[in-house]
Formats: sequence, C-alpha cells, structure tokens
Amino acid sequence: MSDPKVSPIEALSPASRAWGEIGPHSDQPQWGMVVDQERCIGCWSCAVICKSENNVPLGMWWNRILTEGEALDQPEVTRREGLEMHWLPLACQHCENAPCVKVCPVQATYHRSDGIVMQDTDRCIGCRYCMIACPYGVRNFNWGAPARPTPHDTGMVPARPLGTVEKCTMCVHRLAEGQVPSCVWSCPAQARTFGDLNDANSRVTTLIRDREATVLLEEVGTKPSVFYLPPRRRSPL
Amino acid sequence: MSTAAPALSTNVAHRRRPAPALAAWIVTLLALMAAGVAAFIYQFANGLAVTGMSNVVMWGQYILFFMFFVGLSAGGLIVASAGRLFGVKAFKPIMRLAVLEATVAVILAATFILPDLGRPERILNIPLYFNPTSPMIWDITIVSVYMVMSAFYVWLYTRADLARRGSWLAFGTGTSERAMRREDRAKAVMAWIALPAAIMLHSITAWIFGLQISRGFWYSSIMAPMFITSALVSGMGLVILLALALRRLGRLAFPNDLVAMLGGLLGVFICVEAFLLLAEYLTASYPGAPEGVAVRRMLGGPYLPLFLAEVVGGLLIPFAILATRRLRRDPRWVGVAAAIGIVGIFVHRLNLVLNGLSYPNIELPPGLPVGRPQDGTSFAASYFYVPTAIEWMVVLGVLAFGALLFTAAVWYLPMQEPEEH
Repeated sequence: MSDPKVSPIEALSPASRAWGEIGPHSDQPQWGMVVDQERCIGCWSCAVICKSENNVPLGMWWNRILTEGEALDQPEVTRREGLEMHWLPLACQHCENAPCVKVCPVQATYHRSDGIVMQDTDRCIGCRYCMIACPYGVRNFNWGAPARPTPHDTGMVPARPLGTVEKCTMCVHRLAEGQVPSCVWSCPAQARTFGDLNDANSRVTTLIRDREATVLLEEVGTKPSVFYLPPRRRSPL
Repeated sequence: MSTAAPALSTNVAHRRRPAPALAAWIVTLLALMAAGVAAFIYQFANGLAVTGMSNVVMWGQYILFFMFFVGLSAGGLIVASAGRLFGVKAFKPIMRLAVLEATVAVILAATFILPDLGRPERILNIPLYFNPTSPMIWDITIVSVYMVMSAFYVWLYTRADLARRGSWLAFGTGTSERAMRREDRAKAVMAWIALPAAIMLHSITAWIFGLQISRGFWYSSIMAPMFITSALVSGMGLVILLALALRRLGRLAFPNDLVAMLGGLLGVFICVEAFLLLAEYLTASYPGAPEGVAVRRMLGGPYLPLFLAEVVGGLLIPFAILATRRLRRDPRWVGVAAAIGIVGIFVHRLNLVLNGLSYPNIELPPGLPVGRPQDGTSFAASYFYVPTAIEWMVVLGVLAFGALLFTAAVWYLPMQEPEEH
C-alpha cells in the first residue's frame, strides 16, 4: 500500500469545515452512527460519495441502499398499512461482538480502541472466512485486479490489492482530522448522524434513546454500532 | 508371531519394474498434475475472478473438496482404529490400507486450501499472526497434527516388513522379539490416539461451518455429528473400493466375508446419516419460522434435484443394495453401493455449501454487490454458483497428485498384513 494522500480538508472554507466536524465527544469515544429511515430518500448519494472517497473499485460497494418494498421501484402492499416503501442504507455495522473479528485466522480484521472494525489488507490472506461470518453481507473481495473507471485514483485512501477483503472503515482517515464520515456530511436529507456512543448527551445517544432506535438482525447478537430509526409514518408516494 | 507373507503379498513384488499399464497410469496422473499447476498459476496471476465464486457464494469447489477429503480421511481411520481398539480381528487385513488412505486423504485436504486463498503467498501469516478464536486455526492445527500422526501410523504398520526387506525406511528398527512387542504396544497406544484425533478432525471441520450464526443452514449443533456420519459413509466406502481394487491387482488378500461385513457396517452408517438428515431438516422446516428458510428453500427451490440425488442416490439405493443379503455377499455389489454412497456424500456436501451461501440474510433489492464487474452485473440477491474449467483443472490436478501418492505408497510399501497364528 502506498501512503495515503494529503487530505484536502485543510483547504476547506471554515463554513464547509464546520459542517463536517464531529463536535464534542468523550475522552474515549466509541464511534457510532444513527440512520434515520424516515428521512432517507433513497438517492444513493452516500453510496456514491463512499465509492469516490474510499477509492472503491468497479463492481464493489462499501455502502449501498436497499429498498424495503416489493421490488426496486414498486411499493409493497401490506395488509394493514396499505402501500409502503422505505430505504435501508447498509454498510459495515462495526459490531462490538463482530463475527468477522472472531473468525479471521490471521487477525487481519480487528477492533480499534474506538470500536471501529478495521481490515488490514496487507495481512489478509484472502480466505474469505470473514465474509462467511458476516451476517450483513457488507464485505467485498477483490476477485480480479481492482478496476476503476479512470486511470486516476479517486478518494483519499490507497487502493487495496488483488485477493484481499475490503469494507467500510467509517472513513477513519477523516475521523483523524475531526471530520465525520463522508456519507454523513453528504446526505442531502440529513438522514445520518455520527457521534460518540460513550457520551450520554451526544446526538447519537439521544436519538437512540428518544426514537427507540433498532439494530439490524438483533437476533444474531452482534451488537452493531450503527443504529436505525424506523419510519414512524408511511412515506407519501 | 509372523511368518513368510502369503503368496499374494507385495513383499516380493515391490522391486518389479512398472508394467506398461502402470506406466501409462502414472504418465496420465503427471499430465493432470501439470495441467493443474498451470491452472493454479493462471489463477494466481489473474485472481479468483477466474473461478465461479462471487461475493454471494464466496466459497466453492475448493472448500467443498477440502471438507470432502477431510471426511474421507477421518472415516477410514475411525473404522480402522475403532476395529483395533475393540479387537475386531477381521479388520486386520485392511488396517494398513485404511491408515494409508487416511494419510493421503488428509494431505489432499490440506492441499485444497491453498488454491482457495486469495493470497496464497501469505500463507505464513497463519503461524505468524494466528487468531486463537478462529475455527479455521483450530482446524489447521488438528489437520497438521493428524497428518503427522497418520503418517507415523502408516510407518508403524509397515515398519517390520520394511526392516525385513532392509529398507532405510525402517529407520534402524528391527524385527527382534522385543522390537515386535514394542510395535504391538505402540499400535495399541496409537489406536487410542487416532480414534479421538479422527473424530476431532472432522468435528472441527464441521465447526468451521456450524458455528456461524450468519448462515442459518449451517448453524446447528447437528453439524459435527452429521459430518462424522458422512465421513464414516464416504471414508468406509473409499476403503472398500480401494481394498477391492488392490485385491484385483493382486496386492492385497482378504476373504469375501470381510467385504460383506464392511458392507453391512456401511449400511448401518447410511441409516444413521439418513436419520440425522431427517432430524435436522424436519426440526428446521416444521415451525415455518425464518430460521428454517434455507431448508424450506432447498426442499422447494432450484437445488431440490441435488437434494433428491443425495437422498435417493446417496442413501436409498446403496442402503437397498446393502440390506439385501444376497447382494451384500457379492463384493461387486458392495463396491457399487460404496461408490454410489461416496458420490451421495459429495452431493450432500455440495448441498451444504450451495444452500448455506446462495441467499444473503438481508434479502432486499438490489442485493449484494457481486464484486465481479466482468460479469456485467453489479448486484444480486441470490447467486447460483457453477465452477469454471479452471477450478476443475486445479481440482483434477490435486486429485491426480493424491492418486500418484497413493500409487507410489502401494507400490513401495507392503500392504499385506502378515498372517497371524
């Protein structure tokens, strides 16, 4: 892996910079995210900026938007509620009890002290056991030589080599500069909130408490750091 | 305690020059191995994109053959060492063969892991950075221990004959009364080690799959017992087939009664396998809850023909053959039942991989990013895995390597157990 590129965050105007700032947090933060399904409009902006921010090759998505409805463009007809359609943005859940960390034979997948699940693609042997173990299907394998639409790298992180597994890192390169992940600041509907789960007064913890946030596949006991606010009313169609 | 070997023994035959048929067989195997190595190099250069795997079905042919061969290895050794432990004298003529089969099969199983890795050149990261909570590390450990143990077991069984022949492979051990007594004691101790080791080998392999809560089709406490029974069916079946083949080639002698006895045992193992399958799939599908969705899908989806092949071809037909007294007494029919049984267990394992992986947990459109831009699709909610020609070439190459190992071992090592008075 080559060195990460120099961040352009320093070149931002003060207003843009302030827009992406994480804000106050505790001394030992546990980073988490809240995704408001009521606000999400399914525009895929976060998925696209994730691809360019993280230099994600063709055929892979670290972050994608699933549609809860009958099909991609058709609302579901439910017996009780009538027409219904929602979106579920899905990326690595950065689980506290992460199955991928447990099964990786060479500890290439590991927890950072701030709770983020990282992938060391220089150590990864490409056995794909972590992809077997992940209940959310958010890990991507570099099956062939990573292909990109232009010869120029996009994004702020180095490319990952052939034959290794990669996934969402919560934009750790941005966190290091006090900025939220790119999917958060770029959301036009402001559906995503990022913050410290250890801070009882942070926006993420208050949202989780007040809106009765849920986690995905709670029954598998992974304790994700990504929470979802279920839609309280039907989306107007 | 031992006398001159019987007429059919290989003890005098081992110095013969290879017959033309044998030479042709070896050349074929070497050609297949060369093709396999070429395919592996091609795969190494271009990545696993040359296989049929994707982000949805991320394990395929290689893992399938890995667990199949672990089963073949464990099954043969469980029967052989249990026979020794419980003093089943009738098994004696096939002891060496069973132990050798276990050794070659476990070497093949370990070999199948290599082409499955995306970065095989980083294999040393496993001992360097091993993660004790990973079932894969447990399995690599038991496979390594088991490989050394079974190779020693083969040596222990052939050592005296090698010493008599003056081979350096006897490592200076002799055939004196004391040496033979020591060998007998060592064999008894080894049976005590080999039986639990073989059971653990296949149980841990089962836990690679069965401990993953993310895969509903696999997450079941019955996985380890079911792996053991499928190991017994396939491993015993292979020992029967190899024994019959070696008898035909004049390198092993045993009475037909033994074949009938092994056939009966195989029939019992097939029954246990069928019972465990029924218990598992009934429990999973009866409530109609999300947990059983993978099983219900198998019973009503595109993989149903494979499941039927497993049940009818792999269990019902061989059981019918082996349960018929007249057919059980005919070694050819026992051989047919064993062969069908082995194929049935292979299909069973194919079903495990395909049904366990084809459907993601969160099944909302557009599905998982397939990760193979060359296929022209970005997302898929389900994926039907078909191995490519490259995967088949690698597999055939490894199988040829195993056949060559086995042929060489049978050629150089005395397979016939001396008659006991």
